[in-house]
Amino acid sequence: MDFNVSADPPHVMDFRKEVAAWMAEEFKGHEHLRWSASWSTREDQDEYKFRRGLAEKLGAKGWLFPLYLKKYGGAELTVDHQMVLETELFKYGLNLSHVFYTLARIVAPVLIRWGTEEQKTEFLPPITRAQICVWQVLTEPHGGSDIANCQTKAIRDGDHYVVNGQKVMVGHHLPPDYLWTLVCTNPQGKRHENLAWLHIPANLPGVTIQHMNLMMGIKNAVFFDNVRVPAKYLIGGENNGWKVASTHMELEHGGDGRIAADPLIERVIEYCRNTHIDGKPIMEDLRVRDLIADMTIELNTLRRFNQLIYWRRFAKKPHPYGGPQQRYYQRMLRLRNGERLQAIMGADALEQNLSVHEVVDFEYAVRTGPGQLHGGGTLDTDRLIFARRLGLGRPTIEKAPETD
Amino acid sequence: MDLSLTETQEEFKKVAEDFVKAEVPAHQMTQWYKNKQTFRPELVKKAAEIGWLGMMLPEQYGGAGVSAMDCAVVFEALGHGPVPGPLFTSGVLSAQMIFEACAEEQRKALLPKICDGSSIVVPAITDKAAYWGPEAVETRLAKTPAGYIMNGVKRFVFDAEAATSFLCAARTEEGKVVFLLVDAKSAGVSIKPHIGFFVSVAEVRFNQVAVTPADFLGSSGASWSTLEAALEKSLPILSAYQVGATQEVFDITCEYTRTRVVFGQPIGRFQRVQDHCVDISINLDMARWATYEAIWRIDSGIDARAGAHEAKATASDGYYHGTNYAHMVWAGPGTDYSHPMMAHSVLAHTLYQYLGTPGQHKRLMMDALYPRAS
Repeated sequence: MDFNVSADPPHVMDFRKEVAAWMAEEFKGHEHLRWSASWSTREDQDEYKFRRGLAEKLGAKGWLFPLYLKKYGGAELTVDHQMVLETELFKYGLNLSHVFYTLARIVAPVLIRWGTEEQKTEFLPPITRAQICVWQVLTEPHGGSDIANCQTKAIRDGDHYVVNGQKVMVGHHLPPDYLWTLVCTNPQGKRHENLAWLHIPANLPGVTIQHMNLMMGIKNAVFFDNVRVPAKYLIGGENNGWKVASTHMELEHGGDGRIAADPLIERVIEYCRNTHIDGKPIMEDLRVRDLIADMTIELNTLRRFNQLIYWRRFAKKPHPYGGPQQRYYQRMLRLRNGERLQAIMGADALEQNLSVHEVVDFEYAVRTGPGQLHGGGTLDTDRLIFARRLGLGRPTIEKAPETD
Repeated sequence: MDLSLTETQEEFKKVAEDFVKAEVPAHQMTQWYKNKQTFRPELVKKAAEIGWLGMMLPEQYGGAGVSAMDCAVVFEALGHGPVPGPLFTSGVLSAQMIFEACAEEQRKALLPKICDGSSIVVPAITDKAAYWGPEAVETRLAKTPAGYIMNGVKRFVFDAEAATSFLCAARTEEGKVVFLLVDAKSAGVSIKPHIGFFVSVAEVRFNQVAVTPADFLGSSGASWSTLEAALEKSLPILSAYQVGATQEVFDITCEYTRTRVVFGQPIGRFQRVQDHCVDISINLDMARWATYEAIWRIDSGIDARAGAHEAKATASDGYYHGTNYAHMVWAGPGTDYSHPMMAHSVLAHTLYQYLGTPGQHKRLMMDALYPRAS
């Protein structure tokens, strides 16, 4: 076994030098944006502009999706090259999945799996080159985890689908270019067989977006009022939406993997070294050290789960329950760490600190513990999928859907 | 990055799995644990013949010179049994301790016998159960004109019954902790099994036992930091054994959810039962990947101190909590001492304590990562 994510085989050694030099140049003057590792829910225009620009530059080189064919916006490189890009980006706290706030990392593989050749050629390059921002819009006001119970209707009318309905708790504070969504094409049809997947341009007449102020930050309600969507935006064919959804959700539910670590612990250590009680840093306090030990082990575990899934995905060794296991673990870990932060630093853990990025802000970590228990399905659905993939109480074990 | 086993490791694993199936069938294993007859000389002999004792040692000392990962896949498979006996205590921990502490002459005299199974060296480190560290070493060495006299009571010595000699920690008159070998048949050595919710442990009493400077490891008895170096390489192997045992608990429990029918359906259809299996799986895989990462560090020559403590903490926690969650699924039938669950349950509690609890290892992990000023 080799856990080293930077052990370069000879054919990428020069590539690492090239990427490192390129990144150093691009980050000049923007070093303060380090650790912007996930979607930001803060309205920081400077950060957004920088990250969007960086993504476009990476995309222009085919580096956001280095494995893809050039005609799809990739660079036709190897997994080893992709690892170089991931690890060099991570030096600045970023990863290929979240250079800027779009869902390309999930949308592109689903398009590769389910799109026609024409759709891949037309839709993929703007996504993989980061020229557009795509939101996933799945949750409905009455649907929750049961997304197959989809009430947003898309009725075929000649060369168009006429879409009516509402999705909620989606996106972020900046507008999207496309809406990636599940719709119901036949309200009387059989469950799971009456659905379709659409890639809807967000500027079509009849689309309205309203902010929602939620525990996790700004999200949105999207209304579709007689929106006429050209049929070329149907992904995966008529009534095949549930299969497309399965691929999408496998990637969303932990199946995509990562090779980066959560940076939170670094700031916790810094805080504990700089905070003195009775003349001694609280880092010396055994009670505090015990809490940090548990945080460390659990964050290490999450890093290893992510790394394992990443490796399995690209080594083409699919695993039935790695995704839901990671997902469930991550959510419970965030919740536990939220409590540990409060136990370590008292009310300091509840005060927002806008001078650091939110992924290392204690208040954000505490608030999103309970706040992120449900996005993309509750943690109970995680365990339900997990149980099916373990074949509990069943004669057969459900396989993970194909991703890419 | 490559998280797969090598072909050789797959072969090692297969040999050990076949051994468990042939030599340690569940019905027999259950009886051994139930009747506290866990020292099986025939198993030690066979393990020695296959080459599992001291397998990480260089070949000139009787070992196979294999990597820590090669050794770990064997111990993980043995954990499925769980195969009892001193394969870890003598063949890994004592072997590593002697290798770390001794010069060529002592290594040549002691290690080949560990590897061929003719001597079984069992560590007897702490006297007090409530702490893991040099502070818990209370056995005394008093200097005499002829050598030393040793007095003390080592409690909870794992695999004590199997020992031909003990690798003891003792305190000199100057207060220094040293390590020495004491023949189990020496005058004044007595062994009394502990009775309770654990297995394979005994109290070893040293009453006016005469020892000579030649019994000391190395020229001066080495030190606690020598033991730490040996533990860095050994703890992840014990962790791998615990991972294998937890995997076995997980496997038999998942299978039980398919076959046990109540209220007209297999119990695995009940979400609360499913949740218990999910919790076992998480405990299991936390331990598994912490263990593998620590072992990879050892084999790569990277500092593995924090990783070894993390592995021991997560593997002991994982086996313990995994077994408790499994009890929630098995309910009444799993509490019968004739059921494999009870062998695992008793062993999980024993190994939770053995060589320090998870809480103690987490503190040691923290000290390795962020040393304390005081």
